[in-house]
Amino acid sequence: MTPFEGCPGSRMMQFRSSVENKMEGSAEKIRSQLAQWPIQMHLINPAAPYYQGADVLLTADCVAYALGDFHREYLKGKSLAIACPKLDEGQSVYLEKIRAWFEDSKINTLTVLIMEVPCCMGLLQLARQAAEASKRKVPIKYVVVGVQGDVLKEEWAAA
Amino acid sequence: MDTYLNTGIKEIITEFPEVETILNDYDIGCGPCSVGICLLKDIVSIHQLSVEQEKELMERIAAAVDPGKEHPVPKTRKWSSPAPPKTRRYSPPLQKLVDEHVLIKRWIALIPEFVDALDLESEQGKKRILDGIDMIRSYADKYHHAKEEEILFKYFDETADILKVMHEDHTRARSLVKAMQKALAENDKKTLSESLTAYRELLAEHIRKEDEILYPWMDSQLTDRQVGELFARFARVDQESGIAPETYEGFVRQLEAAFQ
Repeated sequence: MTPFEGCPGSRMMQFRSSVENKMEGSAEKIRSQLAQWPIQMHLINPAAPYYQGADVLLTADCVAYALGDFHREYLKGKSLAIACPKLDEGQSVYLEKIRAWFEDSKINTLTVLIMEVPCCMGLLQLARQAAEASKRKVPIKYVVVGVQGDVLKEEWAAA
Repeated sequence: MDTYLNTGIKEIITEFPEVETILNDYDIGCGPCSVGICLLKDIVSIHQLSVEQEKELMERIAAAVDPGKEHPVPKTRKWSSPAPPKTRRYSPPLQKLVDEHVLIKRWIALIPEFVDALDLESEQGKKRILDGIDMIRSYADKYHHAKEEEILFKYFDETADILKVMHEDHTRARSLVKAMQKALAENDKKTLSESLTAYRELLAEHIRKEDEILYPWMDSQLTDRQVGELFARFARVDQESGIAPETYEGFVRQLEAAFQ
C-alpha cells in the first residue's frame, strides 16, 4: 500500500533538472494570442462582445504555466476566462456566467483546459452543470494537462 | 511503387490480390467495397495508423506489387501530419450522425425477416411495406443523408475519392428505393425482395465505412469552430425538417416485437 502523500494538487515535485534553461525551437519571439481583458472569471462579463458566438476557453489558472504552447495551440482564435476550482470563492457565480455564455452570448464551443490534479476536475464539472441547466446546447471539449506540460487527454464531452 | 499510390484500390487488388489480405491485417477492409476508386495513398492516410504500422504496411504492399526489388518505402501524406489524437471519441455533431446510424442499423438488421414476411395482398401488409420504404426515404435519406450531403461534406474537398464513394452509395440507395416503390406498385414481390436485400447490404457497409473510417478522419480535420457550426446547423435541420425520429423508432420497435 502506498503511504499517504497528501493532496496531489499540492504535492512538491521538481522536474526538468537537465533542461531547465534550454530554449527549444525557434528563437523568434512568441506573440501573445490574448485578444481581450479582463480574463478572471469573477471579473469577466459573459455578455461582452468578444464572447458573442465565440469559441471560448475556460482554463484552470495553472494551465498556461504548464502548457508550453498554450498561446499558439489553444488560445489562438478563442476568447478566454480563467478560474481555480480549488481556491476560488463564490463559484455559483461562475455557474451562472457559463450558463449565460451558452444561452445569452450563444457561444459556438466551450473548451475546458484543466490540470491532471483531481481537484481541477471541478472546473469541468462546473461546465457540465451549466450545460445541464442551459436550454441551448453547445459542444464541450476538455483537455487535461500534466504537471510537466504534456497533453494527457483531449476529447469532446457530450454536448 | 509511386505509381500505385495514385491508383484506385480495386485496380490494385485485381492485379495483386495479396494486397487485400495485407490491408485486412490492418483492419482496412477495402476488398468488399462496391466502388473501390479510392487511391492507395488516401486509404493509407485516412486510416490514421501509427507511423510504425504505416511504414510496415507500405513495405508489405511494396513487396507485393514489386517483388524481389529493393526500393525506398514511399511516403503517404500522413507521415508529415501530426500524430492522431490520444483518444477516439466523436465530436458532438458526428456523434449525432453515429447515433442516427443506430436506428438505421436496427432497421436493416430486420430486413431478412421483413422480406420473408412480405405481404402484397392485404392492406395491412402493404402499409407495413410503405412504412418500411418511408423509413428509408424520410429518416435515412431526408433526415440523415441530407445532413451529410448538404452540410458536412461541404466542409471537405468533395472531389476526394472517399466522398465520391459516399455520394455514390447515397445515389445507389435512392435508386433502390425507386425500384422498391415501382415493385410495390406492380405487385412484384421478387424485385421488392431483391431491392430490400441489396439496400441492406449497401447500407451496412456504408455505415461501417462512415463510423470507422470517414467520421474519425473528418473529426481529425475539423477545427473547433467548424465543430460548433456543424452542431448548430444539424440542430436547425432537426427543428426544420418536420421529421419526428420517434415515429421511426416506434416503427422499428414494432417490427422487432413482431419478429422476435
